[in-house]
Amino acid sequence: MSSLLKYAIGNLLHRKTRSWLTVLSILMGIMAVFALMSFGLGIQAYVEEVGESTGADKLFLQGKGIGAPGTDTSFSIPKEDVDFLGKIRGVKDIAGLYFQAAAIKFNDQIKYNWAMGNEPRDWRFLEQSFGGGIETGRELKQGDISKVVLGYNYQIEDKVFGRAVALGDKVEINDREFEVVGFYSEIGNPSDDANIYLTDEAMELMYPSIKNKYGFVIIQADRDVDPTALAERVEEEYREHKGQEEGKEDFYVQTFTDLLETFGSIITVLNSVLLLIALISLIVASVNIMNTMYTSVLERTKEIGVMKAIGARNTSIMKIFIYESGILGLIGGILGVVLGFLVASAAGGAAAAAGYSSLRPIFPVFLVLGCLLFSFLIGAASGFFPALKASKLKPANALRYE
Amino acid sequence: MRKEPIIKLVNVWKTYTMGEVQVHALRGLDLEVKEGEFLAIKGPSGSGKSTAMNLVGCLDIPTKGHVYLEGKDISAMGESELAQVRGRKIGFIFQQFNLINTLTALENVMLPMMFQGFPEEQRKKRAAELLTKVGLGDRLHHRPTELSGGQQQRVAIARSLAVDPDVILADEPTGNLDSATGKTFMEFLRKLHREERKTIVMVTHDDMLAKEASRIEHIKDGQLVRR
Repeated sequence: MSSLLKYAIGNLLHRKTRSWLTVLSILMGIMAVFALMSFGLGIQAYVEEVGESTGADKLFLQGKGIGAPGTDTSFSIPKEDVDFLGKIRGVKDIAGLYFQAAAIKFNDQIKYNWAMGNEPRDWRFLEQSFGGGIETGRELKQGDISKVVLGYNYQIEDKVFGRAVALGDKVEINDREFEVVGFYSEIGNPSDDANIYLTDEAMELMYPSIKNKYGFVIIQADRDVDPTALAERVEEEYREHKGQEEGKEDFYVQTFTDLLETFGSIITVLNSVLLLIALISLIVASVNIMNTMYTSVLERTKEIGVMKAIGARNTSIMKIFIYESGILGLIGGILGVVLGFLVASAAGGAAAAAGYSSLRPIFPVFLVLGCLLFSFLIGAASGFFPALKASKLKPANALRYE
Repeated sequence: MRKEPIIKLVNVWKTYTMGEVQVHALRGLDLEVKEGEFLAIKGPSGSGKSTAMNLVGCLDIPTKGHVYLEGKDISAMGESELAQVRGRKIGFIFQQFNLINTLTALENVMLPMMFQGFPEEQRKKRAAELLTKVGLGDRLHHRPTELSGGQQQRVAIARSLAVDPDVILADEPTGNLDSATGKTFMEFLRKLHREERKTIVMVTHDDMLAKEASRIEHIKDGQLVRR
């Protein structure tokens, strides 16, 4: 069999230009499929990883408005409600969070970003929910009225401000001066990584009207309580507490996993659409291979006749042509995977540079092998009918063919 | 001593349908090829000699009648079985050499053995031996396009001998060679007949060539000409 394979490879090399053009068409498709799937799988892995690591037992309660969580100014959760929610069976811990847009000024540049305020004792709890933590400096302490912790991007030049902010620098938030005491580690999107973290006291000083009215609430479920079931219970009890009708609540409760999955599924849908386009390009590639192989069968009619005359059985002829188209597919697959890897890595790097480090491609072995097998099968399947035609040629007729 | 014929055609008809017209290429041809003989089949073009050659070589099956190879009726065989029989029993030499241009001389000679499932080492060894025998020991790795017509036809001889078949079928073998090369080729063919005891069937329209054979049969209008 290896001889038939060698012969098949020889034939492909003999018509290099046509082989390369055919390979090129399948290469494009596989490259796109590989790159897109590496991102799709990366998002899934990210969602699972973050969900399983710290956030799985967390729930969020927030207003039904549009926009980022807690930014709906017409909705707030009073401190009494937080106390009520804290007493619901299955709730282990709870924290209310102030959430406001703030103007932050550094080096005469002003940016508008989200400021979050919380009791310092709750920060560690919140950090767990987001899967981050202090990277440099320290956390906020009780009484840190003029201290601030900033998101990851502030310490990088040209990300938030033209100049990088350093520990000990002074920034102005809503015209009040704060000293930077810490930076958070990277969360993976430009909005979250530009957040401003303050103590609840600082927030209450700057926004007196919001005192004890939280933008959103984070709840931690007891160890043996299913977060999804708890989310339903919290929603039901809080609805009754507020005297609202089912379906007409002005709030909603979401588990952290739900939240991540929502984010994940939006990207997955987008990714699937692109993947579909890539698959269509593979169908085109398949037609192209078929066309190449039909041409090849026609050209080599006499050769097929000769091989049959010297004892080639139909199955041998069939194999030769299927090998040829399969190899075309496989080479396209190998090059496609290599280029797909480069493209995805470059795109992942670009996304990370733009602050979206959560959009990172992953390259599991099964994806590589799957793409190679897939490309070989596309090639072999596309060559099937041309190969069948070749194998069915009558030797006497084929030998007469000029 | 009279031997049982190695190939026997009995009342063979071959009919081609061209559009609505039926063309009878062979009309009840009877032909016997005895083991070890050198038979020339002669006839003008359109006489049906190529069709007869296809049937003798198991490349085709008759519309009507029977073709026996070593006593076995090939008219009833399937394509795969027919291919096996051809591959084992018959070596072909064509007018246009019909070598595979993408393969080297050595690989061309190895090809029939590959289809018979010979192990690679054996194939290589025998192919090299055969090519050396036809005087191409120094051209093993040349491709057909790098060889002269005479050399190509000698590769074709080596290929026809690869699986050591009983019968060599030559279809106008010198048609594409100049007269000197043609002469050398015929010497090879005679030697094969004399020394290797191969049965040789040669189709030609050339009187001079036909005279080299031990027996000549004439075909005209799809039938043997009795004289």
